[in-house]
Amino acid sequence: MFFFTYLRRELRHRMRQAVVTALGLALGIGLVITVTALSSGVRTAQGKVLGALFGVGTDITVTTPATPAATAGPGGGIGGFTPKPYAQHTDSLTSPTQGTLNVSAVAAIARLHDVSAAAGGLVLTEIKATIPGENTPLNPSELQPVQIPVNGVDLSHGAFGPLAAAQRVSGRGFAAADADANVAVADSAYAASHGLKTGSAVTIAGTRFTLIGIVRQAPGSNAPDLYIPLARAQALANGPGGNLKNKVNIIYVQAASAADVGTVTGEISRLLPKATVTNSASLANGVAGSLKTTAQLARSLGIWLAVLVLLAAVAVASLLTVATVSRRVREFGTLKALGWRSGRIAGQVMGETIAMGIAGAAAGIALGLAGAVAAAAAAPKLTATVQTANASGQGGFGGSAGAGGALFSGTVGGPMTTWANPNATHTVAVPFTAPVAISAIVVAVILAIAAAVIAGAAGGWRISRLRPADALAKVA
Amino acid sequence: MYELSNVTKNYLKGSRTVTAVRDLNLVIGDGEWLAIQGRTGHGKSTLLHILGALDRPTAGTVTLADQDLTQLREAQVTRLRAQSIGFIFQTFNLVPTLSAAENVEAALVPLGIAPGQRHRRVIAALESVGLADRSRHLPSELSGGQQQRVAIARALVKEPMVLLADEPTGNLDEDTRDEITELLSRLWRDLGLTLVLVTHDSTVARRAQRIAVMHKGRLSIRRDARRPAS
Repeated sequence: MFFFTYLRRELRHRMRQAVVTALGLALGIGLVITVTALSSGVRTAQGKVLGALFGVGTDITVTTPATPAATAGPGGGIGGFTPKPYAQHTDSLTSPTQGTLNVSAVAAIARLHDVSAAAGGLVLTEIKATIPGENTPLNPSELQPVQIPVNGVDLSHGAFGPLAAAQRVSGRGFAAADADANVAVADSAYAASHGLKTGSAVTIAGTRFTLIGIVRQAPGSNAPDLYIPLARAQALANGPGGNLKNKVNIIYVQAASAADVGTVTGEISRLLPKATVTNSASLANGVAGSLKTTAQLARSLGIWLAVLVLLAAVAVASLLTVATVSRRVREFGTLKALGWRSGRIAGQVMGETIAMGIAGAAAGIALGLAGAVAAAAAAPKLTATVQTANASGQGGFGGSAGAGGALFSGTVGGPMTTWANPNATHTVAVPFTAPVAISAIVVAVILAIAAAVIAGAAGGWRISRLRPADALAKVA
Repeated sequence: MYELSNVTKNYLKGSRTVTAVRDLNLVIGDGEWLAIQGRTGHGKSTLLHILGALDRPTAGTVTLADQDLTQLREAQVTRLRAQSIGFIFQTFNLVPTLSAAENVEAALVPLGIAPGQRHRRVIAALESVGLADRSRHLPSELSGGQQQRVAIARALVKEPMVLLADEPTGNLDEDTRDEITELLSRLWRDLGLTLVLVTHDSTVARRAQRIAVMHKGRLSIRRDARRPAS
């Protein structure tokens, strides 16, 4: 067919210009694909972090901060011990980082319009410590208290909350009949490090619990080590104001739809003015670290860079096409003299630019895929730093001998704030990939061809304005 | 064939109006060979462009086979050029990336002729100018005379009513000029074409039936032999 013969010959004749145009488009398309893949990867990573922190099915969490006055109260934590001549061992279950809410708050939230369900929970810390006796000094390793994060789980709402996203490794999950039983589920990492398996016994607040199952949570979820029924946690734990009977310190809320999350957040804030109401958006704002930096970079610089390069490629392709038309004035004038319509000549030029666009798209896809792979391989390990006071994480207890020492400094039973940090954060490594979606490739091809069409249209416009007599007069 | 009445063509050159063709009246008969001579810039090419419907006159009428070219729409004029008018240029104006055969074929593209028939006509046209064996050569691989032969084949392959030639021997040496002139003469005679040829070369002009001279946009007949061409 004459069209393709002419097109092929012209492209071969102007190979260097065709390559420059195609490479320009390829660079733009490659950047679009790479940046899209990076954005997608960052979104996925963010989703993993937020999903792990929030739990599947949970739209909003409600907590209340611990006040220094409350945390220093009698019975809080391990306070109240009087030094004895001999060493004393303590084993207590406490809510060191969060204030408590009455269970009635759960029912009140559940009654709100646009709320699908609400469940209470207790985010607790089991503290096992040895207090040195006056005449029995301990070595530093014995001074270091052991803390075990424990969650009290509402067994009637398993579809959301801390166990909703957990994968069962062995044993079974909680059943309604376990509500008042001394049974526990362990996190797989904790179970592995302590040699626990289904049927093993663990001691929580001096009470022996039997492990009925082992679960695995998503990486970065800051999962507790043990889960026990909420009723047992309420019975065994002590909070800032005493025992936690009929108390919860976190409420998981499921909105009727995703669109209602903002509304429900506002309603809960009005219902419980002193509570901290967190949804995925506000939690995302609290995520810091390289993950957030990368997300911002991908959103701002990456997308703008891709758009700018693409625009530059379109501009270069258009200018080159118009310049080509100007150089080929005599040729096109002759074709018009032969009876070629302007549209036919413009179509021929459009065909050439579209061919360059397709070549650019193909090269751009290859560049984009390579860029995505390279970016994922070369990307530094991403981390997300998350405030844990409002989520299921546990407050810091120190971790160094010095901090441990601070626990027992002065009068034993001093302020709990010395070891319970309400603004504790934890940093998790986030696995990063840069997946290239088929839709991104399709969009890239469309962009390349659109760019080629724009360039061809610029050439076509120039051709349509070309008067054959003028074109031929230039060479006469 | 052609009838031009009171044709004037003005151009704007900056703020100045230049009259390239002034109040021209001319009748060109069917199968006539008219040579137009004149100094550079005196309106020869402009007149040829008007005859070829590449340009429209500022005033007057141009009739080709009873069609007033000045009244036709652009699409109609384009179709007329594709079907009825063949052009030959001084600089050959071949598409440099296409072979000799493809250059000839380019003239048939707007006519929508089937590829098989197109191929046969291209070969026949190249044979008529003695270049069938050069059909695959690019213009750059051909001599000036051969390129002009390809251009003549391209002009004739559509079997036009009129052949318009603008200095067709202007870029050729004497021997080649004579060859091309002889070829044009033979084709004019054999095909019964109407041939309008612009030339500076009196040797070439003398082969025509009539010789007209353009001077400052006005046309005058220098020789009206209306005798059979030699």
